Amino acid sequence: MKRTSMFLTALATATVMATGAFAQTFTIGLSNGWVGSEWRTQMIDEAVAAAEAWALNGVTVNVIVQSANVDVQGQIAHVRNYINQGVDAIIINPNSPTAFDPIFAQAAAAGILTISTDAEVSSPDALYVGIDQKGWAMMSAAWLAEELGGTGRVVAINGIAGHPANQMRVEGYQEVFAGFPGIELVNEVNANWDQAQGQQAMQTILATFGDIDGVWVQDGMADGAWRAIEDAGRVGDIVATGEIRADFIGRWAEQGYTTGASVNPPGVMASALNVAVLKLLGTELKDGVFEGRYGNALYLPIPFIDQGVFDDVMAAVDGMPGHHSVSEVVGPDAARNMFFQ
Amino acid sequence: MTMHTSSTAGTLSSSRKFEFRRHPYLLAVGVFILLSIVNAILQPSFLRPAVAVSNLASFMPLILVAVGQTYVILASDIDLSVGFIISVVNVVVVTTIEALGGSGGAILAGFAAGIATGILAGLVNGLCVAVLRFQPIVTTFATGIIFAGVALWILPQAGGQVPAIVWRTYAGAVAGVPVVLWLLAAVLVFIAVFARTRFHTALVAVGGNMQAAYQTKLPVTRIRITSYVISGLFAALAALALVGETASGDPLLGGAFSLSSITAVVLGGTALAGGRGGALGSLFGAIILGLIANVIFFAQLPFEYQNLAQGLVILLALAGGVFVARR
Repeated sequence: MKRTSMFLTALATATVMATGAFAQTFTIGLSNGWVGSEWRTQMIDEAVAAAEAWALNGVTVNVIVQSANVDVQGQIAHVRNYINQGVDAIIINPNSPTAFDPIFAQAAAAGILTISTDAEVSSPDALYVGIDQKGWAMMSAAWLAEELGGTGRVVAINGIAGHPANQMRVEGYQEVFAGFPGIELVNEVNANWDQAQGQQAMQTILATFGDIDGVWVQDGMADGAWRAIEDAGRVGDIVATGEIRADFIGRWAEQGYTTGASVNPPGVMASALNVAVLKLLGTELKDGVFEGRYGNALYLPIPFIDQGVFDDVMAAVDGMPGHHSVSEVVGPDAARNMFFQ
Repeated sequence: MTMHTSSTAGTLSSSRKFEFRRHPYLLAVGVFILLSIVNAILQPSFLRPAVAVSNLASFMPLILVAVGQTYVILASDIDLSVGFIISVVNVVVVTTIEALGGSGGAILAGFAAGIATGILAGLVNGLCVAVLRFQPIVTTFATGIIFAGVALWILPQAGGQVPAIVWRTYAGAVAGVPVVLWLLAAVLVFIAVFARTRFHTALVAVGGNMQAAYQTKLPVTRIRITSYVISGLFAALAALALVGETASGDPLLGGAFSLSSITAVVLGGTALAGGRGGALGSLFGAIILGLIANVIFFAQLPFEYQNLAQGLVILLALAGGVFVARR
């Protein structure tokens, strides 16, 4: 999958850039403030690959990667160091939606383009390039409700209370389930995006509300939840959302789960990088492309995997390590069509 | 003192030992100078005034909270809740300023409410530890969870904004001198003056030997409560600096400061057992932690090794201190 998407990216850039001769060099800082999952590693790997792919079009993109467990203050220091170093653009997976407003204003004053990915930021000086977390949740919630035929008792297992992405996801599924009068949301719990806590939460839920039909569980905990469902011998009569990782997809095939998952692709940072380079090359954004609560978001398409596309999904993760996630990168050509004039 | 009777070599080594014992922060100063040189080599713009000042703005919150933590540790207690005090003060300040409409008066009221919150949180810690005699680590771990919960209750998700004047002031200058330099000067003056008070002497006595302090009729309970209140106050000041940095409220903002403040205190030469050390060392300890992060940044290590390298350098700095002090 990764190799294919890289190849497609290269192909796309080759065609889009055939139009003009560029001999430009840009330096882009990538800041990741949390290294708790392989998803983040894959995110950076794909972004670095996307930067290298620009060479095929005569654009040299040097990336400087900062990836460590830091608090908000530490990540502000990353941004400050990038500013002091004089990069052309900063792409950040931010640890806070609001705390970067002042430092992004300082970056903008220094003429540096700032793009956040994976989590939206409130700064009017930055763009967001990534998926709509609310839409992500709405997609899988609608899938679950329809899979249940519009009626059933459902529980939700969420991530970290107070985390903005979690909040947007909760709003998303609540809105969808409210549109299905037959769906009864019997309980909502937090399991902190931790597989072990997800499994424990699911065990408690099965013991407390035995007669549930559906589980809306976020990625990062769905694997654990499904293990609890398996242990309780309920695989046949419970429908639940799932993961996009290769190891989960393998168990899905073996055990015959009824599951589906919205894909938050680790390729979002690579997509953001492609948007950044297009902007640095002077390409103008279309009018009215911005969405989101802060009015600065460029939303990327959200893939969905379920039984219907299972063969493609299996092929995509075939031979990949267990932690590899299904991904998608919006290449330069596609990004130009989507967002640029 | 055996200094007068020992040989020349012995005099030198024991006088050096004597120096480090009396001024444990000297080690931290040495590490600070070393790291500054490394940083300046890796990042040529490091010594430019604007860059130095912006680095100081990054380090200031940890400097403040580490200075406060020092006084608790000197009394042989510990405060694991400071990070969450920062979180709760941060959301109190931001929600107060927003609720009052963001005028100049609202900003002052918000800052006052934040400082009161920090002092109150410190008082809760102090009462639990010194009056109710709860074990300090467990108590402040638990109160930290409570403070984190209160922060989430006040502001369920990150948001809220303070007027731009707040962060423009923090990033700006007063009378031609950057605001963070004024803050640094104020902290240094506080440390120097406070170290000469009778209270500070009593604090060190309590940390050195609590039983003896009781027997000499020092008001041990009051001293321990006060040290927690000072720690809460400095956590609140750190939160105000963070408001200056981030201009917004985030209930998950502070958590990591608890352990990094303790690391800064230890790097600065203060003994975790209490009774020995000082806040000046913690100030350097906090700057050292910031410089290590900078060095890792500018060394451009592959990202897979950045956390590992940072941990190893911190361990090295700690071990170096122990090694030199023992010789």
